[in-house]
Amino acid sequence: MDDCLAKKMEITVSEAEKRTGRNAMNMQETYTAYLIETRAVEAQSEGQCAPVDSLWRRYSEFELLRNYLSVTYPHIVVPPLPEKRADFVWHKLSADNMDPDFVERRRIGLENFLLRVASHPVLCQDKIFYSFLTQEGGWKEMVNETGFQLKADSRLKALNATFRVKNPDKRFTELKHYSDELQSVISHLLRVRARVADRLYGVYKVHGNYGRVFSEWSAIEKEMGDGLQSAGHHMDVYAASIDDILEEEEHYADQLKEYLFYAEALRAVCRKHELMQYDLEMAAQDLTSKKQQCEELATGTVRTFSLKGMTSKLFGQETPEQREAKIKVLEEQIQEGEEQLKTKNLEGRDFVRSAWADIERFKEQKNHDLKEALISYAVMQISMCKKGIQVWTNAKECFSKM
Amino acid sequence: AAGAPKPLPSSGPKSLREMPHPLATSSSEEMGPALTPSPDLIQPRSIADKDLSLPNGTPVDTSSPASSSSLLNRLQLDDDLDGETRDLFVTVDDPKKHVCTMETYITYRVTTKTTRAEFDLPEYSVRRRYQDFDWLRNKLEESQPTHLIPPLPEKFVVKGVVDRFSEEFVETRRKALDKFLKRITDHPVLSFNEHFNVFLTAKDLNAYKKQGMALLSKMGESVKYVTGGYKLRSRPLEFAAIGEYLDTFSLKLGTIDRIAQRIIKEQLEYLVELREYGPVYSTWGGLEVELSEPLEGVSACVGNCCTALEELSEDMTEDFLPVLREYILYSESMKNVLKKRDQVQAEYEAKLEAVALKKEDRPKVPTDIEKCQDRVECFNADLKADMERWQNNKRQDFRQLLMGMADKNIQYYEKCLTAWESIIPLLQDKPETK
Repeated sequence: MDDCLAKKMEITVSEAEKRTGRNAMNMQETYTAYLIETRAVEAQSEGQCAPVDSLWRRYSEFELLRNYLSVTYPHIVVPPLPEKRADFVWHKLSADNMDPDFVERRRIGLENFLLRVASHPVLCQDKIFYSFLTQEGGWKEMVNETGFQLKADSRLKALNATFRVKNPDKRFTELKHYSDELQSVISHLLRVRARVADRLYGVYKVHGNYGRVFSEWSAIEKEMGDGLQSAGHHMDVYAASIDDILEEEEHYADQLKEYLFYAEALRAVCRKHELMQYDLEMAAQDLTSKKQQCEELATGTVRTFSLKGMTSKLFGQETPEQREAKIKVLEEQIQEGEEQLKTKNLEGRDFVRSAWADIERFKEQKNHDLKEALISYAVMQISMCKKGIQVWTNAKECFSKM
Repeated sequence: AAGAPKPLPSSGPKSLREMPHPLATSSSEEMGPALTPSPDLIQPRSIADKDLSLPNGTPVDTSSPASSSSLLNRLQLDDDLDGETRDLFVTVDDPKKHVCTMETYITYRVTTKTTRAEFDLPEYSVRRRYQDFDWLRNKLEESQPTHLIPPLPEKFVVKGVVDRFSEEFVETRRKALDKFLKRITDHPVLSFNEHFNVFLTAKDLNAYKKQGMALLSKMGESVKYVTGGYKLRSRPLEFAAIGEYLDTFSLKLGTIDRIAQRIIKEQLEYLVELREYGPVYSTWGGLEVELSEPLEGVSACVGNCCTALEELSEDMTEDFLPVLREYILYSESMKNVLKKRDQVQAEYEAKLEAVALKKEDRPKVPTDIEKCQDRVECFNADLKADMERWQNNKRQDFRQLLMGMADKNIQYYEKCLTAWESIIPLLQDKPETK
């Protein structure tokens, strides 16, 4: 993507800062603000050092941006934000949003989000996104002025469509099923991984007790003393090594989490399709019934049972003038309806086409990213094994000198 | 499998003349066969008239049986029992279950290979059960009270918690029993013990057990150590030091035992989670197309790590913990020997005091008190010699034990490393473009 923003502009979320302020209800609150730094790439390549622009944003502004993008580009799988609250924690990790490790990982997640948007062929061209990066004041107002909230589909409407749509595109049905399964399996994986980390932490830390007891024991020994003492030191090293190992593994967990949330974005596109399809089906149904009504009035035959027909039978027929008027209204409505249906059909087809193109792009990205994540996880495991071999080999040598 | 006995010297059984004489005067290892050696050290000697002395010039009292054994003990202290000088090999193996009407129990095969004259045959193979080992140990404690007797694995097992007929339990016990006999075999005094001989050779041990009391008196075991409730004023410095050492030593071993058990527990809990973790990757693989193989690969990898971890925990349970516990038991029995020594010394001191109070004008010290003094000196000498031997063996045993522990952990990590390294190419593999 030669013309995507990421190529033209360096974007980083370089700092996080605790702030206090007053919220909408004029109550004091503490929140974290993130520093977004941008720098034009072109100027740099010419040997000049371009100036860095920066502004501060808080998480809720990121959320606003993402909501805007989701509503404005419903056919795009919009990159997700890092989690709002610390989830899938194991005992050593804090569930506190203010915890420095959590804030740090969130900073990285937010940067990743911006880079994802900036490298998306469609999203990167959005003006609101550009302003988010460059315009400190008045951005919120700008977003609200777009009136995107009005375009948002209600949850209820979407749910209704899911149950009642008759002929959704098969590919979207399969994709919806896939995204549900993906969410489920990644959640499960993250939960178990957290438990695994917890247990592994326990195993390593208990070995630290060897360090102390070997030291105490060496005090009463003559020839064995030195060997025991130095071996005990290696046990301490072993016990301490788990902290870094598990910290690194959190990055892997974050990579999985991104795709857990991506599954939701995928689902959102499917939901939009269902909505549009349902809308289309309703419009078609409505048109058909109006045409039928028209025909019945014109010919005077009642093909299907209708309350109007019954009442007119019971209480007398309408005058020909009344009937003419009704037919006219219906004919107008039918014409409108046909126009709308044509438009909706076109929109539907457009949606399916462009959504599917983005989905294909997303699939490739997902396969690539997850493969990289698995490789880096394997590399982490290899490093952990090598460290383990090193420590125990050192300990063995100390024991041999006993 | 039990360690195979080292090959016997190819020159055939050693002649009696070549065996070192327990009462020889020479300070070098070469003993002139000036006297007919008798391996039965419990019987009083007929060579009491010979003027014998220790290398340092101290005259040796050959009238008491204890002194000769302690002499042997001290002289053979530096004897490096390598393959060349060894003449007795004992192995415990081949556990078998016996189901009888009254009970079910396990017997082990005890194989002996030897060139010693004390044995009628060069080879023996008998079957013994735990009871028999327990009997042997008690007999050794009775007949060699001045020596440190190696420990047996624990007698009682809590029914329902441990399956005493499981392969793992039986194997662990077999190893401990083998170690027990080997330690006795290596001891220059204990290995010549009559009861030990019978244990290794008798077809019907029970018959011998019944004769026990009769045999004892026939042997003239007059060395009775009175536990007459004498109170020792103060333990000599060196034995006090040993006592303190043993206290701290068994305390530290207890701590190590608890730590090792905790580690095994944590590892097993880790294993439980890993067993759930691996298959989730597989499930995920089922959802994917391009990622299917990589995810399956990771799943298999985690599975391999599970197997490796299982093996590590098993090894630690079966090989590491029992040896620790053996040494704790060893320390306990050694502390008891120290107490017995205290008793002997206390008796001597009490008797000495009693005589001193009488203020009798005596030309010489009564023989009764002489014998007491003798006992104290012999006990001290035996104990010191055994302690030195014990310290050496302990050092080797722990060196081997801890190196073994390190080794098992290295092997565990190497297995995991191999598993993860092998899937890197699989993960990096570029599938054919669709």
